[in-house]
Amino acid sequence: MSGRHAVADRMGNHRPGLLNVVSSELLRLRRRGIALGWLGLTTAMAVLINVVMFQIVKNGSPPPLNGPGINFPTATTLLSDKGIVAGLPAASSMFGVVALSFWALATSTDYSTGLVRVLVSAQPRRWRLVMGKWMALALATALTTVVALVVSLMVAPIAARAAGFTPTAWGTNLGPDLASATVNLFCALLVWGTIGLALATLTRSSGIAIGVGIGYVLLLETVIKAAVSSAGRWLPGTTIAALANGGTPDLTYGRALALGLVYVVVALGAALVVFTRRDVTD
Amino acid sequence: MPSGQCQLEELFPDPTGRAQQEDIHANTIGKTVVIDVEANRLVMCVSAHLHTGMSMGVIRTDRLTRRFGDLVAVDDLSVEVPRGGVTGLVGPNGSGKSTLIRMLLGLIRPSSGTADVLGHPISRPEVYASQVGALVEAPAFVPGLSARANLRSLARLRGLPDVRVEDVLMTVGLMGREQEPVKRFSLGMKQRLGIAAAMLPDPQVLVLDEPTNGLDPAGIVEIRGLLQRLGESGRSVIVSSHLLAEIQSVCDHLLVLRFGVLMYAGPMADLLQRAESHIDVQPEFDSDLERLHQVLVDAGWTVTTDSSGQLRVLAPLAAAAQVNRDAGSGGVTLRAIHARQDDLERIFLEMTGTNDDELAASRAAALRPPHDPGATSNEADR
Repeated sequence: MSGRHAVADRMGNHRPGLLNVVSSELLRLRRRGIALGWLGLTTAMAVLINVVMFQIVKNGSPPPLNGPGINFPTATTLLSDKGIVAGLPAASSMFGVVALSFWALATSTDYSTGLVRVLVSAQPRRWRLVMGKWMALALATALTTVVALVVSLMVAPIAARAAGFTPTAWGTNLGPDLASATVNLFCALLVWGTIGLALATLTRSSGIAIGVGIGYVLLLETVIKAAVSSAGRWLPGTTIAALANGGTPDLTYGRALALGLVYVVVALGAALVVFTRRDVTD
Repeated sequence: MPSGQCQLEELFPDPTGRAQQEDIHANTIGKTVVIDVEANRLVMCVSAHLHTGMSMGVIRTDRLTRRFGDLVAVDDLSVEVPRGGVTGLVGPNGSGKSTLIRMLLGLIRPSSGTADVLGHPISRPEVYASQVGALVEAPAFVPGLSARANLRSLARLRGLPDVRVEDVLMTVGLMGREQEPVKRFSLGMKQRLGIAAAMLPDPQVLVLDEPTNGLDPAGIVEIRGLLQRLGESGRSVIVSSHLLAEIQSVCDHLLVLRFGVLMYAGPMADLLQRAESHIDVQPEFDSDLERLHQVLVDAGWTVTTDSSGQLRVLAPLAAAAQVNRDAGSGGVTLRAIHARQDDLERIFLEMTGTNDDELAASRAAALRPPHDPGATSNEADR
């Protein structure tokens, strides 16, 4: 792939384009820590949510109050045609936290290793570096979304049988159900990840970025929602959850999609402005 | 006004007459000048491509300045780096070398002034980035990836074919280790990899910051040869280093910075020519020391005594035989005679200060406000 996207000018100089940045970034994402960590945690989350949500229904107890991170589905939902992929929206915030962490990690590593100065001197059009990284991480996120889906498809029937359920409705609308669950989760993770990229670009630290991101969702947004209930449905965490669930009574899918897009544009815009204007002193 | 004074004013905006104008040679058109800040006088003029009106250099800066708050990292720097060959960039810690390199690479922006690389302004680094390779400070890689994967990712970023990766791995002697993760590399191997990364685009301008850092003696010799070959091939290599012996052996040209101020710019040979030479002499019998001193003074030599009591004749190296003859004529037999010449290190220390206290004193003098009656240096004048 290398070299195919580069354009040579009349002087014979290479003029690498955006796809060169994406290709370069994808190669760097192959490092074991990132690849195995991200995919491994996604797999673990998918297994965990499927086992737990069926066990809760099996016990006959009402689903726990929806706290930050997980929205447990009801027995009705689990036995419906969407039940086979109910784990994806249920644990979207968990998947989201993982996505935010790895987007932040992939971004901040450029600073901690000093790689940012190599990247900028090789590709001084800095916006391409940001957009290329965003596109590469979006592709990686698509891969993890598919992994989460596949794991759910494999684990959900086993977990259902173990809990004593025979969900006959599963598979009656399989194609659209899989597609919507995958697209919704991907969109949600894209918002999570973009926020992680922006935070890591602003702070140049994965630790701070992850801390701020998770702290916001687990604590701050909950507090804000409690204090100003009318504002709650517009906040990022709620918006992303609505996006993953294909809409909620408080926030329609279309509005969640639009809000998610706004959050992506704002976060990416902030990262672009900061990265293109800031001196590279790392 | 003689043209030489114009030159001086361009390089050092306000000589204010403190530099001894009589020292300014009339034919300084297109020459680099050297200011001895401590002595506050013009030391020498050397040929270079400064201010000739026609740019011959690969890098040119014009009153380039970068401030970080109150700190002036690069101060009104006007210099031109000649095309081809190896140019050394030296200076004490904090002299602005890295800041200058970062500005040239588009990593940081100047506070004022202009510069261009290969004829293109540094405000548009994307125009020349494909012809410039750099190793800035420590080599930077993804530790968990192999050397080859790291280089491939940089090759892809630059739109280069993977075959370039194999070429540069071969050049820096990392073939055979290319599959190992970089985190297992020694400092020297990382350094080689950093140089390989800088050479990926087969650049016209190669900027290397401390390229021999961490290398073993064989590696240093190897890299020295590589830099010389690159310089001889018509590429312009700029090497920043604290290893002055290395700089002296490999560089054709030299830039010396102190506190962001240019102290010297010009051919290495011209700088070394101003190196002082002396001849240390020891009489056969210690009791003849005073007599020898008198004999040599009578013969017309300038003689000093160092802290150990050894006599030092300030004279060219070639005068050693005559000194020996004069001592013999005066009836003193010499037990030892050593002719020595200052090297770059000695010259550098004289230019920049020999220890931290001196540097601190110089720094304080440089930062002293211009109206301070105690301010006497050219730096203070600025």
